[in-house]
Amino acid sequence: MDRLTEVLQQKFGYSAFRDGQKEIIEQVIAGKDVIAILPTGMGKSLLFQLPAYLVEGTVVIVSPLLSLMQDQVEQLKIMGEKRVVAINSFLSFEEKEFVLRNLSTFKFIFTSPEMLQNERFNRMLSTIQIAYIVADEAHCISQWGFDFRPDYLRISSWLKSFKETNVLALTATATKKVVSDIKSTLHMKEPYEFIHSIDRPSIAYEVKELENQQEKVQWIIGRITTTNGPGILYTQSRKKSEFYAEELRNRGIRVAFYHAKMEQDDRILIQQQFQQGKLDWVCATNAFGMGIHKDNIRQIIHDHIPTSIASYVQEVGRAARDGNQSLASLVYTSSDVEQAYYVAMQDFPEDADIQLFYRSESTEIQLPETTTRILSYWKEVLSEQETIDLFRNIKQKKWLEIQSLFSLFQNDLCIREQLLNNFDEYLEKRPSNCCNVCSFDIRDVLEQRNQTEVEKQQLNWVYRLNELLH
Amino acid sequence: MFFHQILLLVIHKFRGERSSTAPFYLLKGKKSGQTIQDVTYFNLHSFFSLYSKLSMEEYKDEISTLLANEYIKSNESTILLTEKGLHQIKSMRKPMYNGWIYRGNEHIFFSRLELVVQTLSYFQASENKFVPNQKDQTVHQFVRTYLIENDFKKPGFVVSLKQQIMDLIGSSSFEDIHRELFVYRLSGYDKSGLTWEQLARYYNKSVLDVKLLFIECLHIALHTINAEKHPDLYILTKDIEVVTPLTESAMKTNLLFEKGYSIEEIAQMRSLKKNTIEDHVIEIVSANRHFPIYPFISNDQLNRVLQISHEFQTKKLKVIRDHVPDLSFFQIRIALTKGET
Ligand SMILES: [Zn+2]
Repeated sequence: MDRLTEVLQQKFGYSAFRDGQKEIIEQVIAGKDVIAILPTGMGKSLLFQLPAYLVEGTVVIVSPLLSLMQDQVEQLKIMGEKRVVAINSFLSFEEKEFVLRNLSTFKFIFTSPEMLQNERFNRMLSTIQIAYIVADEAHCISQWGFDFRPDYLRISSWLKSFKETNVLALTATATKKVVSDIKSTLHMKEPYEFIHSIDRPSIAYEVKELENQQEKVQWIIGRITTTNGPGILYTQSRKKSEFYAEELRNRGIRVAFYHAKMEQDDRILIQQQFQQGKLDWVCATNAFGMGIHKDNIRQIIHDHIPTSIASYVQEVGRAARDGNQSLASLVYTSSDVEQAYYVAMQDFPEDADIQLFYRSESTEIQLPETTTRILSYWKEVLSEQETIDLFRNIKQKKWLEIQSLFSLFQNDLCIREQLLNNFDEYLEKRPSNCCNVCSFDIRDVLEQRNQTEVEKQQLNWVYRLNELLH
Repeated sequence: MFFHQILLLVIHKFRGERSSTAPFYLLKGKKSGQTIQDVTYFNLHSFFSLYSKLSMEEYKDEISTLLANEYIKSNESTILLTEKGLHQIKSMRKPMYNGWIYRGNEHIFFSRLELVVQTLSYFQASENKFVPNQKDQTVHQFVRTYLIENDFKKPGFVVSLKQQIMDLIGSSSFEDIHRELFVYRLSGYDKSGLTWEQLARYYNKSVLDVKLLFIECLHIALHTINAEKHPDLYILTKDIEVVTPLTESAMKTNLLFEKGYSIEEIAQMRSLKKNTIEDHVIEIVSANRHFPIYPFISNDQLNRVLQISHEFQTKKLKVIRDHVPDLSFFQIRIALTKGET
């Protein structure tokens, strides 16, 4: 057995590498720059975790999504790795001081893009040996990506102090345009590129245009009450998620809603209940999904048109981690495309907002937090007119993207092929249950719901305490 | 319904002598001189800082409902109980809060217990690895030390802890809903707790009511836990009670008083308004009954104020001042505060 496989088995408890993992890890160990594009759930974390045990020094992981960072730290700790820390705005002053003074004792340092501007952090980093740098969720670097994080662009100048250190860029989805943005921002010259197909053969696609909202509700309730879960119903608003949960609950479904307005404690509990199989369905906004470790999700339903192809692919990709047949359904009405555009535009500033932002001193203007962050960045780099043009351009592109997603759902072409083409891929082998354009028998894809009548749970504290502790 | 009742009680205690937002700041635990002094004046200790997350919107909603149901009426800028409201509070059970000494820290106690129970539950299922629900690193640190020092793997530890929890919430001070909330907010191996929304639906109550009942349950628990009967729970209550119920700023002022400086000197040294330092004095007097007040008011003046307050059944500064025009508002406030401690 070679050394890599040995570490894989001992440290991570897997018997074999998945497609592409080994090659990527070898390149990282050899000190090459690497770009790896792998769908979520395909063992992305292993790519930066495993090489750490075969090279000297500390791995620095830059991650723009705090919740994801937290999840990765927890996963490492579960594996028994104690030398791991996340340095971000959540740390108290004392904690930060302690960590910075003991930086070299950590094997994995996770950090947010904002921290890269922190001088003290950078000074301390320069005193330790860095094995390699990981840019996680690298698509956020690209302003064309669906969740552009302007702070992340600062990694570009930051990396100039680490010219000798190799960089591993990781992301789940990226078009050619986004990949080229990643390469130039991260100063990669001849990186090793690994692009895993985004195709998920065990997920079948089904898209239906309906007359109006009532028909949508009926269709969704009909589907969920007659076929098997577990599943996620993605809605566009907090209110809708609560509405569907209520309707389904009244029909005997074990269901809960989930959205960002809930307290963190309660969000964790819903995730757990879903993972433990105590809930069959979760009606959620797009806030749900990251950090969900559940292999047997059988259905994903959308009651709306998502604001980008990439986010659609990502949400659908939460099904079928175990490789068993699953179904992604989407129902829409003709007016939903405007709604999608409206939702997508919410975070983008109007011309007038930009003018006001450039001309007023402080941030007295009431804008969403993400907008303020994006504008503060561009204010440093571009003139007022350039920023206005930039956003007009981005909005235009966004509109086109939503349009193309809409026509992808409407035309008579294979949904799977079109999704792949969007990411510059071509379908190699069509699965027998492909999409409703290629046609499939719903009975091959979904099982009938086993009518398990949910009786109202009677709370009993003594009984429950005995369940918790023996 | 529960929140309504708490509000009615608080409004009743304010006796129509404070603005309609005073109950809001009291429940949120605002650390201003006015709110702190009112705690003492109107004997509102149990309700102070009950629910710091209360929003003005939620509060106003509840007030409108109370007005619509004619439990309260508004009178100029203040609110008063109606006969109907008075009747309502007479028929309710007395809430068992102690906001003044816990001030939201009760949740830290529960977070510790939650992590302990989750760890032990996974340990008993032979799963040593799990993702803690509790994300707070200081709670992690506390529980790690607790588990090691108490040698949690020794036989009998879990059984004994469970017995202590049984004994605690089995006590007659709790109602069944308290006991259930306490236990169903805990999580363990393959047993995830219930969300507030799920609990509220089960009891057919509002989320706010369920949360307030849970807080009441924690206050009863903290009051009941004792070192002999619940030794392993007792350790988890470390530093939960607020020892010096003074704001940080008032504490600094207090230190300067101890060094013998006057109000004016302290105001100058700290670059604060004289009013602010006076607020601090009120806060200190209500927290520490041994604090000497003779530099500010004579015994005779004090007694006059208390006598007038008693005679006219009022704590309104203006009404009292009309009878003792030679005293300042500050002196009257001191007298009233002292009169309650
Ligand atoms: Zn197809």
